[in-house]
Amino acid sequence: MQASTAHRSVRRFSLSEWSDRHFKWLLVAPAVLLILALSVYPLLFSLWVSFVNYDFQIPGHAFIGLKNFKQVFADPVARWSLVVTVILSVSSVLVEFLLGLALALAMVKNFRGRGLLMSVLIVPLFISPVIVGQAWALLLQRPFGPTNYLLSQLLGYDVTISWLTQTPWNFIALITADAWQWTPFMFVILLAGLTAIPPNLYEAAELDGVDGWQAFWLITLPLLGPMILLAVTLRLLDATKLFDTIFIMTGGGPGTQTYTSSYYLYTIGFQQFHLSQATAGSWVFLILTAIVISFLVRRLLKAEPT
Amino acid sequence: MATASVRRPARRGAPIGRILFLSFWLIFVLAPLYWVFITSIKPSDDYLAVPPVWFPDEPTLVHYTAALFAYRGLDGLVNSLIVSLSATVLSAVLGTLMAYSLARFNTGGKHLAFWVLSQRFLPPVAVILPIFLIYRTLRMTDTHFGLIVAYTVLTLPVSVWMMYAYFRQMPKSMEEAALVDGCTRWQAFWSVAVPLAAPGIVAAAVFAFIACWTEFFFALILTSRDAFTLPTVFRAFIGFQGAQYGEASALAIVSLAPSIALGILAQRHLVRGLTLGAVRG
Repeated sequence: MQASTAHRSVRRFSLSEWSDRHFKWLLVAPAVLLILALSVYPLLFSLWVSFVNYDFQIPGHAFIGLKNFKQVFADPVARWSLVVTVILSVSSVLVEFLLGLALALAMVKNFRGRGLLMSVLIVPLFISPVIVGQAWALLLQRPFGPTNYLLSQLLGYDVTISWLTQTPWNFIALITADAWQWTPFMFVILLAGLTAIPPNLYEAAELDGVDGWQAFWLITLPLLGPMILLAVTLRLLDATKLFDTIFIMTGGGPGTQTYTSSYYLYTIGFQQFHLSQATAGSWVFLILTAIVISFLVRRLLKAEPT
Repeated sequence: MATASVRRPARRGAPIGRILFLSFWLIFVLAPLYWVFITSIKPSDDYLAVPPVWFPDEPTLVHYTAALFAYRGLDGLVNSLIVSLSATVLSAVLGTLMAYSLARFNTGGKHLAFWVLSQRFLPPVAVILPIFLIYRTLRMTDTHFGLIVAYTVLTLPVSVWMMYAYFRQMPKSMEEAALVDGCTRWQAFWSVAVPLAAPGIVAAAVFAFIACWTEFFFALILTSRDAFTLPTVFRAFIGFQGAQYGEASALAIVSLAPSIALGILAQRHLVRGLTLGAVRG
């Protein structure tokens, strides 16, 4: 009797000890399992799909080797979509960085109404990109949007730009919508970086006769460096995935002119149902992104922001 | 967001230039929002007027009722609420559990933490194709459950990393004291660490909710007639030249109001949210 209670208490103790010992693994298990099931497994599955002929119409999945990849590489639209992705993401991020930096510099000093202005300036971050695209389409679209009317009034002659179908205006429209939504992203991060620069540095510099633009180049920019790298990296990684505004504003058009890689793969996979070809293409895209990411993240870790 | 005023020699940049730039930007930010709002209450006859109607004489709410009922915006709203709230709770709970383990026990070393982070940068298009095929076999397409699980995984990296940063800057002493007093590790976590981290958990949850609420791509592909969310309702307005401007705008207003309100409430944590906890702000 006594022995058995002792035995049971030992067992109970060891069970809680077991959970205590493995506590750290028990805590990470649910999240890790979920990511394995919905991200790692699908990716492995898609690797298989990209080497077979996966078609809803044709039964069986015959192994066809690299044929899907060859089809993607041979498709001029695929190559063009990659060019569009690079053009749009690089120019959007550049515009957002310059405007975000200017905004951060303008907002770093305190003034009346700054808090309220701040709340208004960050609003675009919380809106669905679909709605951002819709809103800019409404503003720009001929003949409904007021943009052409305002430009005509301002310039004194009749402006009739088809903002969503005419090159280069369709690219400018897409970049404008992106900059509208994501400039606050740069602004907020860079502002946090600016406020972290100790003000006495500027005071000391002023005693040495360094101020204005010189102070900006010699103090502000170098100290802001890691923050700039962080903001640009995070933003660039998201910009390469551009899909929503393309879908709503141009539909990839005219023709296939504003296809980004994500939009191209979407049309191949979900409109033409060339599933294997789309999967092969997304693996190529994934590898290209991974190269860019590892390069940028390595730079970032070397800089060690804050 | 640190709003502490930084005193700085007040000479750089003429104030007049600064005021002009900020006013220009304020107009640029507000213009699309104003135009969407005005279009949502404008009678259809005013759409094509030249000069444009900047404020309608007879505002109307017909577009709102049409968007909510004829275009099933209300169904989308309910679906969005169900999916976003469930995914937010799941993401916050699982994210907090994992972040605590990473921060306190350095579980899996740096590798596990960075593996989770790398999920954040996966192109959605690379994952969505196989998920779609798997869901199709499991009959999970167009279900709330399918989208909830997908959104949980989508938001987990940010939740984990926000909470990871939060726990790391929280002192361990309280939990250690609880352990000395005979608490199990779980008790030290649940009744000491979690209450202390509550503000961080709420902030992470708010950003997860906004991410789910505004998400379009996954919803576009994984849902159709039943589980469709609010952003996907906008599909109905593409290609119809002009007729549904009012409905599209009304729907936009309904959809953007909650996420903007939440975002401004969580403004203080914005820098942490945007940088996945890397910058404290």
